[in-house]
Amino acid sequence: MMKLLEVRDLTVEAGGRIIVADTNLEMEEGEVLYLLGPNGTGKTSLIRSIIGYPGYNVVKGRILLMGEDVTEKPMEYRVAKGLGLAHQIPPRLSGLKVKTLLEAICSRRKCDPDEVASATQIQHLLERDFGRSFSGGELKRVELATLLAMKPKISFIDEPDSGVDVDSVKLIADGIRRLMEVSSSILVITHTAMITKYIKPTRVCLMINKRVDYCGGPELLEEVFEHGFKGMAGGNQV
Amino acid sequence: MASRGWLEEIKSRAREGLFKPAPYGEDIDLTEYNEALGRGEFDPARAEEVGFKTGGNAYYLQVDQNYFKYATRLSGVEIMTVREFVENKPDEARDYYWRLIDPGKDKYTATAALLERGGYYIRVRKNTRVEEPILACLFLSTSGIQAPHNIVVVEEGGEAVVMTGCTIAPESAGVHIGISEFYVEDRAKLTFIMVHSWSRVSHVRPRTSAVVGEEGYYLNYYANLSRVKTLQTYPEVSLGTRARAGLYSVVLGLGDASIDYGGAVYLKGEASSAEIVSKALARDRARVVTRGRLHGVGRETRGHLECRGLMLSRESYMLAIPELSSETLDASLTHEASIGRLAEEEINYLVSKGFTRDESISLLVKGFVSVDEKLFPPRVKSVIDSVEKLIVGKAM
Repeated sequence: MMKLLEVRDLTVEAGGRIIVADTNLEMEEGEVLYLLGPNGTGKTSLIRSIIGYPGYNVVKGRILLMGEDVTEKPMEYRVAKGLGLAHQIPPRLSGLKVKTLLEAICSRRKCDPDEVASATQIQHLLERDFGRSFSGGELKRVELATLLAMKPKISFIDEPDSGVDVDSVKLIADGIRRLMEVSSSILVITHTAMITKYIKPTRVCLMINKRVDYCGGPELLEEVFEHGFKGMAGGNQV
Repeated sequence: MASRGWLEEIKSRAREGLFKPAPYGEDIDLTEYNEALGRGEFDPARAEEVGFKTGGNAYYLQVDQNYFKYATRLSGVEIMTVREFVENKPDEARDYYWRLIDPGKDKYTATAALLERGGYYIRVRKNTRVEEPILACLFLSTSGIQAPHNIVVVEEGGEAVVMTGCTIAPESAGVHIGISEFYVEDRAKLTFIMVHSWSRVSHVRPRTSAVVGEEGYYLNYYANLSRVKTLQTYPEVSLGTRARAGLYSVVLGLGDASIDYGGAVYLKGEASSAEIVSKALARDRARVVTRGRLHGVGRETRGHLECRGLMLSRESYMLAIPELSSETLDASLTHEASIGRLAEEEINYLVSKGFTRDESISLLVKGFVSVDEKLFPPRVKSVIDSVEKLIVGKAM
């Protein structure tokens, strides 16, 4: 069966530094993959590299999306092909209302902005400037709303549980569940792992020291909770 | 017949300023231009771009300096030319004509005062609330000077929306000097929308002053949405007790335009408040200066001023000059100013949401030029929306 995503031996440079090293990662249909790792280990850099963010330069390795080598393709192409990213901290877009953004996405992806807003419980933010005076949880839910509108084949969700309170994590988890209905697979980055209480993984990978070091089943979560990231370092390569 | 000495005083004062340059903006040699006396050729399509449509219940249309058409079917709304106002109601006119603006202030006011031709007088009677916008169009069909003098009086408790579009036939080398004196009486509200669309060889020098009475509200929206050779204006607003003012502007500089746009609000009355938001975009080799001033006089006055500049080319130039001043300890005045290009981080963010780079820039520019629609009456929102779309289209 064709893999949705294959990252082969990827090394990435940004700003003159290696930020992802010798990394392999695969995703198949129907996966809920957790990418765990301590702060600053390169998780966000990895998914930004996969989606093709400018400034993330592939030094070595390949990125295949549904069998197609997209390593040299721009972000526009990769997003059109089915990648989507919920950012950890999106920029504030002055003057651009949340509703305007959702309408613009929905006009091409055939969706109803009000339904999307309702599914992520952000109706009260629709008339606000994007990112203006949002709480941490509201920012995360607006990000999920954009993905729900985009309906990407693979959704990357970057730290949905950082900087939010317990009640917010529940709401965010509701949004992720809705996203699982429209995306073939999702990859969730977390370093606190709070979200794992609500959304169970099908697979878990650890990223330590710039490389994806170790992947396993859901039971790997328990090992991480028991030993911590430091205790898990140096495991088997994927 | 009442003495006309006061009119002679105005002309005498104007003659003193006839060769005086304005403190801001490029100096224009007006002796190179004759008065624009055309054949009254009106272009409805261009007028529509600046929000003017014929067939409304209250309108004023002026082409060049010598063709006027106006009508009002709105109860409590009076419209005529300013010349008719002065000739037919001199005792009344004396209280409003050149009372807020000094005719000798600079060569532009002086020229308008000496030409003394064109411009509208609109009076909204006491407690008359008009939802339908009163439309005005000042059209230049030929080269030369057009210098209308507009007076709007909204009497106590009245409410009105005046939308004025000013435009020019393509390639006409015109000079537009619009004199506007606005009187917003106690508890009255005036929403004044002005949309400009000029040619790359036209010079524009509006001179505007408004006085707002107790608990009155003056809301102003100005947009310049196409090429202009030079533009300089500095509208001034004086507020009475608990009066409010909101001045919002979007100015687009294209080509070799030299634009100096600003405005001042004098918070004279106790607890008066104001907001000035000035947004400017500069493309090509345009040079754009944005100014703003809030001056506190009365106790417990509040004001906020924003000057934001978006540079869209390496050859453009921008300068933002926000000023705050106060004569009282009790004023609370703030400002924000910024100049810069669109942030790559924001463009990339939108590309990650499925937009092309050009679409992302277009969305961000639209966000930049947008004003808070909730501030404006419903009938005005569609005009502002179409103006914003035009500006985005021309800025790209």
